[in-house]
Amino acid sequence: MSRQAYRSTLSESAGTIHTLESMTSRWERIDPSDEGKTQVLHGICRMCMQGDCATKITLEDGIVTRVEGAGTDIPPNYGNLCPRGNSAAMNLYNPYRVKAPLIRTNPEKGLDVDPKWKEVTWEEALDYTAKKLKEVRDEDPRGLAICEGWGNRETIVRVPFKIAYGTPNEIGAHGSFCTVHYGTGLIHGNFPVSVVDLEHCEYHITLGRTIGPNFATVPGTRKLSQALERGMKLVVVDPRSSHEAAKGEWVPIKPGTDLAFLLAMAHSILFEVGRYDVWFLKNRTNAPYLITPGGDYLRDEATGKPMMWDLSDSTPKPFDASFGDLALEGSFEWKGQTCSTGFTKIKEGFKEYTPEWAEKISTVPAATTRRIAREFIDHARIGSTIEIDGFTFPFRPVSLNCERNVMNHKGGTHADLVGKIINMLAGAIEVPGGCLGCGYRGGAAIAPSPDGTMFPGYESHDRPFVFPPDLTMQSFYPNSHTTPHLTAAALRNPEEYHLEYQLKAWLNLGGNLIRFNAEPEQYIEMMRKVPFSVSIAYQMDEPTFLSDVVLPEHCFMERERLAPFWPQHQATSDEVSGLQMLQYRQPVKPLYNTMHVDDILMELAERIGILRGEGGVYDIMNHDVDYIIKEDGLNLREPYLLDINTKHTRQEIYEKQVLSWKYNQGETFADVQREGHLVKWQPKKTHYTYYYYPDNQTRHEFYIMNLKHTADRLRANLEKHGVKFPGVADQERDVFRFYNPVPFWTGSPELDDIPPEYDLWAMNWKSPYFSSDVGGCIGNPWLAEVYKKDPWEAVICLNAATAARKGLKDGDWVKVSSRYGSVEGQVRTSQLFHPDAVGISGGYGLGSLHSNPLYRRGPLFNQLITSREDTLDPISGGIELAPCVKIEKKEGGRA
Amino acid sequence: MRYGMLIDLNKCVGCNACTVACRNNNGTPAGVSLHKLLKYEAGVYPNAKMKFRPMPCMHCQDAPCAKVCPTGATVQRPDGIVDVDANKCIGCRSCITACPYDSRQFIWDFGDYYEQAQPTRLEQKRRLEFQKGTVVKCTFCLTRLQQGKVTACTATCPSQCRVFGDLDDPNSEVSRAIVDKGARPFREELETHPSVYYAGG
Repeated sequence: MSRQAYRSTLSESAGTIHTLESMTSRWERIDPSDEGKTQVLHGICRMCMQGDCATKITLEDGIVTRVEGAGTDIPPNYGNLCPRGNSAAMNLYNPYRVKAPLIRTNPEKGLDVDPKWKEVTWEEALDYTAKKLKEVRDEDPRGLAICEGWGNRETIVRVPFKIAYGTPNEIGAHGSFCTVHYGTGLIHGNFPVSVVDLEHCEYHITLGRTIGPNFATVPGTRKLSQALERGMKLVVVDPRSSHEAAKGEWVPIKPGTDLAFLLAMAHSILFEVGRYDVWFLKNRTNAPYLITPGGDYLRDEATGKPMMWDLSDSTPKPFDASFGDLALEGSFEWKGQTCSTGFTKIKEGFKEYTPEWAEKISTVPAATTRRIAREFIDHARIGSTIEIDGFTFPFRPVSLNCERNVMNHKGGTHADLVGKIINMLAGAIEVPGGCLGCGYRGGAAIAPSPDGTMFPGYESHDRPFVFPPDLTMQSFYPNSHTTPHLTAAALRNPEEYHLEYQLKAWLNLGGNLIRFNAEPEQYIEMMRKVPFSVSIAYQMDEPTFLSDVVLPEHCFMERERLAPFWPQHQATSDEVSGLQMLQYRQPVKPLYNTMHVDDILMELAERIGILRGEGGVYDIMNHDVDYIIKEDGLNLREPYLLDINTKHTRQEIYEKQVLSWKYNQGETFADVQREGHLVKWQPKKTHYTYYYYPDNQTRHEFYIMNLKHTADRLRANLEKHGVKFPGVADQERDVFRFYNPVPFWTGSPELDDIPPEYDLWAMNWKSPYFSSDVGGCIGNPWLAEVYKKDPWEAVICLNAATAARKGLKDGDWVKVSSRYGSVEGQVRTSQLFHPDAVGISGGYGLGSLHSNPLYRRGPLFNQLITSREDTLDPISGGIELAPCVKIEKKEGGRA
Repeated sequence: MRYGMLIDLNKCVGCNACTVACRNNNGTPAGVSLHKLLKYEAGVYPNAKMKFRPMPCMHCQDAPCAKVCPTGATVQRPDGIVDVDANKCIGCRSCITACPYDSRQFIWDFGDYYEQAQPTRLEQKRRLEFQKGTVVKCTFCLTRLQQGKVTACTATCPSQCRVFGDLDDPNSEVSRAIVDKGARPFREELETHPSVYYAGG
């Protein structure tokens, strides 16, 4: 059968109105020319957000029979794969995939209402969608919102499409659960998070996160295993004795109280241990900067530069002057005002946070907090150095790292920042052994601003105040991650949010804001109301099921891909530090009548009239710079720019990207295709950004001035437009109080003045089978066989003593209720949980009439949480992920 | 030559990559897995920990399964691997009862991977490698060994907790690691003389 004839069989059922059965029972022909052949393809895994494991895909008779790690000598996974990666063939052979373009014929929308999908040709689907999107654009391009998410993080056209279309409204579906970026942006100039240097670290404290097992799994676990074998001590502060807690010391903590523990640890270092890296604080932070009573830097009148105090002549001098005896600590009279150093401000602020004070909140024994604080400093080897590639670095083999379950609370940004302050006290920022940013490893990450401190990077750099605001509402949350919850709030209350235009069209591209957000109903309602919605979809997930048009995309193994290597999210070591690499995925032939996501977007762009010409998709691509790794990415440059007036295939674009790559030494796209990767190791020293600005050439914010400056600008902008901060009753109490340069115990609506029957706190975590739901893991039957046997998956975990107190035993059906929602499930009693915790893993449950039945089984943790504005972290916009809950037995079993 | 394996429980993080790699490599039907990973907990709060024990077949030198097999379907090969000849297996399941490690499974029927849907292309193809009414078990990925590879579970393990090799060679990596780590078989008192050793835990 010719390729053309093969394709034509894929669309012969156009016009059919589909039922679930007619969609799932359909298997397309195998290309007959593949019969009798064994083929091996280069793959790149995408069963997690990291998505960089090199794989080898074996096909026999055109059928994928095995997916394995590419080879023991091939970075970054060196032949390993995680359970999800090993299940990738089921992502391809998934009968619940969307198999052809569909248009809804039933206008009524709901998760249990049959859309009565009509199968159409690609021409019909693209023409119809483009016509609708063009109408919206002609009226006001801001009327389109693009919802991206884990379902597709590989498109290279989405952002250029958005810019060319002219909408500012790109909304990450999951971002309100992922407000983990502020401290890393500010202190490391990196995105998304900061990680531990497992090559050298000797004492690692991890809170509210996984080092590997529950996230990308291979990269973190490989390095953790090696670090533990060479003797690194691991301390896991978590309400749950996790996979990694099994490998170290578990310090149980009440959910949502990490900020109290961190404040007490910092207090103990400052007031009890009494040792910290004075050299680092004086030379590499703004700790010695003088702070006026108003909270600003004391500035030199002539130069405007922040000043520090010289004890040798009792005068302040600009930070870059030479000092006889620089004061780190103290308060000094100068021109009629008393100025304290940033260090003193922080120290005074933390004075009340004794370990005993914190114990009352977090339940971590004061003696434990003290011991950990002391051990952290003891292991920091303050004053030592290490030589790497001929360059001498400070050597600080300790790192404290926090993530989602620390930051996704009201006050979570403060917890993030106190974690950074603790690392700064040990001098363990961006030096070997310490805490490192995990994205861009170039010098610009920590380049100094005129104030001597590094420029705030990524999300710590406040966005411009747009007024009237965009649908994202990020004008009011200038340091937020993504904000679907605020979009939903604004659409419900357009006047309060000063929204001056309407949402007219919704383009879903891999995002699932129904399952992976708080209060699913609000998004179902939003999708019911939007006049036109289209989903570029792999499977019939909830937002796709509610769409008007479904444009089916290839699954990841069918999706040709050229990608640069991004430094990994959970940990680093010499296995990957200094690694500059391109990876290539050879596509498996598509099973169904699907298209490559970027071909879909380019086809839509062409039809809308935004593909070519100035300001079109190609023009934007010519100027685009990789968001994460900047100049190290696949950025087009002269003489390899795209002709903006000619249509290009994806392969032509890949060719130009390879030729433009900074590390290219004459290789072509064909070379990368043949090998599956192109590896260019750089010196290890370039992985530690200290290298670019050593000694006192740049400074990190120890005193978090960025918060104050952001608040000053936000307040001025609100006043300029005569508006109040939307959605909250008291903007001083609920918002501006948090923009304090000295982190403090903020309190929480889930801890203070709560009704007495809410005597437990819910918590959620990722698992080896569920890592942000990339790859549709819950619906994958190979993973389901494993997670169904896992004692702590898809159940409601309770400390055994707590269960006994409540009269509950294993297998009892219970209803867990927060003040915002409830879930039902079966109890698993365990010694692995804090007595105050109710643990619910992953993202099970919800689903729709047409979804894989595995998606319909809970419990779905997200039904317990809220996106009410007064419960959010006002800086990051993060949702509170430890709601107080009550638990009741459901007599008679399942409801 | 006797094939054997060391599993370092101090390194295993219980992710089940091994279990799914086994399915991925061997294409076992739904509900049938040649590898399992026991996850349990030990200790009392706050001194409680997750525990993990990955379990391929132990490939016992004194294999109870082989002793009870009435047809000679289960044999111990000269390289130590305990294998089943599906053509000789009559499905009596005596071996399943005899195995103290629960390493054997019986194929009652071919279930489908996906619920309420047709069997996938992959399972349609790979079912041909199995026979209903027979017992199946881990063979240390015999086909992979013949290709000069290690077992799928060893190759995939993100914590690199497994070492595979020749137990008869005292200088092999696996033999040395067993000595260095003081590794012992699981339930050694059963005296079946397994070829799988565990360290730590």
